[in-house]
Amino acid sequence: MRNFKEVTPGKKSLKKCYVAAMMWFMGRAIQASAAVDKSVRKEFVDMPDEFTFALSVMPKGPHMIIAKDQRGFVRYSGWDPEGKKIDLYMKIKNIEAAVLIFTFQESTVVATARDRLVVDGEVAHACAIVRILDVVEVYLLPKIIAKLAVKRYPDWSFRRKYLGRVLIYIRCIFGF
Amino acid sequence: MRTLMYLPEHYEFFCPVKINSGNKALEQLPFELDALNARKPLVIVGKDGSGRGLVDVIIDAFKDSNVTIGIFEGVPSAPDLKLIRDLFNIYRGRGHDAIIAIGGGPAADTAKALNIAVSGKPEDIEGCAGDDHVKEPLKPLIIVPTLAGTGYEVSKYAFFDGKNYASHFLMPNLVVIDPRMTIPEDTVTTIATALIALTHAVETYTGSGKNPLADAYAYTAIQLIMENLANVIGDQQDGNGRLSLANAHAMAGCAFSNVALGVAHNLGKVMGDMCHVPPGLCMGMLLPRVLEKQMSEGGYHISDLLLPLAGFDAYANMVEDLRARRAVDILHDLLKGISVANGGAISRLWKDAQLSEDTLQNIAQIAVGNGAIFDMEGCMKILREAKEGK
Repeated sequence: MRNFKEVTPGKKSLKKCYVAAMMWFMGRAIQASAAVDKSVRKEFVDMPDEFTFALSVMPKGPHMIIAKDQRGFVRYSGWDPEGKKIDLYMKIKNIEAAVLIFTFQESTVVATARDRLVVDGEVAHACAIVRILDVVEVYLLPKIIAKLAVKRYPDWSFRRKYLGRVLIYIRCIFGF
Repeated sequence: MRTLMYLPEHYEFFCPVKINSGNKALEQLPFELDALNARKPLVIVGKDGSGRGLVDVIIDAFKDSNVTIGIFEGVPSAPDLKLIRDLFNIYRGRGHDAIIAIGGGPAADTAKALNIAVSGKPEDIEGCAGDDHVKEPLKPLIIVPTLAGTGYEVSKYAFFDGKNYASHFLMPNLVVIDPRMTIPEDTVTTIATALIALTHAVETYTGSGKNPLADAYAYTAIQLIMENLANVIGDQQDGNGRLSLANAHAMAGCAFSNVALGVAHNLGKVMGDMCHVPPGLCMGMLLPRVLEKQMSEGGYHISDLLLPLAGFDAYANMVEDLRARRAVDILHDLLKGISVANGGAISRLWKDAQLSEDTLQNIAQIAVGNGAIFDMEGCMKILREAKEGK
């Protein structure tokens, strides 16, 4: 029939690569923050042992997986959820929404309020993860950008903010 | 004591439509389709959506979703049963399981008729004409309105191949309003469609079927149109304004699916069809006259209309007895303002239409037959006053 065509839309590879890179760095930063920052550590202490959480982009990734081991250490567990028991999934509905979040045009809180994420798991744990992401973003980003990315920019001491930032960046780069 | 919130002794309200609106809303389509248990949608694009890059936006929205889509472009302004049979064969033959309509009336009407066909068989369509003859839920239907839409797309109504259809099962499961899809074709279409939505919302808000839930939709629609129509006419690049208008159209559609169609709608629709002028302009022109007549008969909530039309301050500053008059004057002023901004398009309408007394009689007769709540005399009075510009 004229005027009809069947289309298989392509990929958004560049955007996926950007989001995957940001998730990789964010995952390592969460691991580092759990070792450096008291408030992040406390959030994880309140979670059950062997708790595993994944931040994913629908329908097929990229993913960021964070796990708390039996000894209470927080580890970035890579980007492949295959074979892992995930307790909490936070799924971003599409790659464009993920780009909005990871280019800091929308904070995680705003994105959640705008229904750009779905949560599969305990809402209380998801709220804790959103708070952790806010803290990590304050460490990683300069104030002018972080203010866009977090709900409220905190009033931290010079020592906490800058010493913490240095330690977290070092741990991110070297992966411990 | 008279209360502002009106609760009738009995009412029914039904709106199964999910509205997904805003920046990158189209990118939610794969997720929403999955939630509707659909994997392969057939996209139907109206003439207002073809050739303006809107199809590319849709294709782009489906990237990375692993969803294959069928796209049919160029729904004519008067679609017929042959088109439905062709689309039915595509839908069934290629294994589609949902319909997405992009554009205004004809695309949405075609999608609704096609939905009746694919949920049963094409022969079912004619038997479903009339009120509430569609008795069962249909396949998933998603509407992506452009600014050529009037809110009809979202409603329980469809007009197809010369017949009217009305059933809540014809309402879409989802309406996706994305600013990229609301770039206006031309100013007259923008005005005409906004006036249709305004008429539906006002007649819901002041009509006898008024109820708190319909009020919520109608109130918001009226306010959005009043705050944004002039801006969008002045600057078609006003993305927020366009998004607001498209939202208002959708909300008006949800609201008027739950009440009887009003007099301004009835007269304006008949007049538009008969005289080949945009029905929206006719409805807009007739609306304040209809309200004036209702005002003279009393008991029609027109004073409450001032609140969404003019806002809290204007409402509070006006004594109660004068609120209805002020509301009608605001609608007159809106029309004058629009007409001036558009080089007198609305005033020219009456001259171009060449409305003789016989034509007015015909219009009134058909409108009364369609269920207008005024009698012949009442309808003629409104039409004559509008013609004479009173």
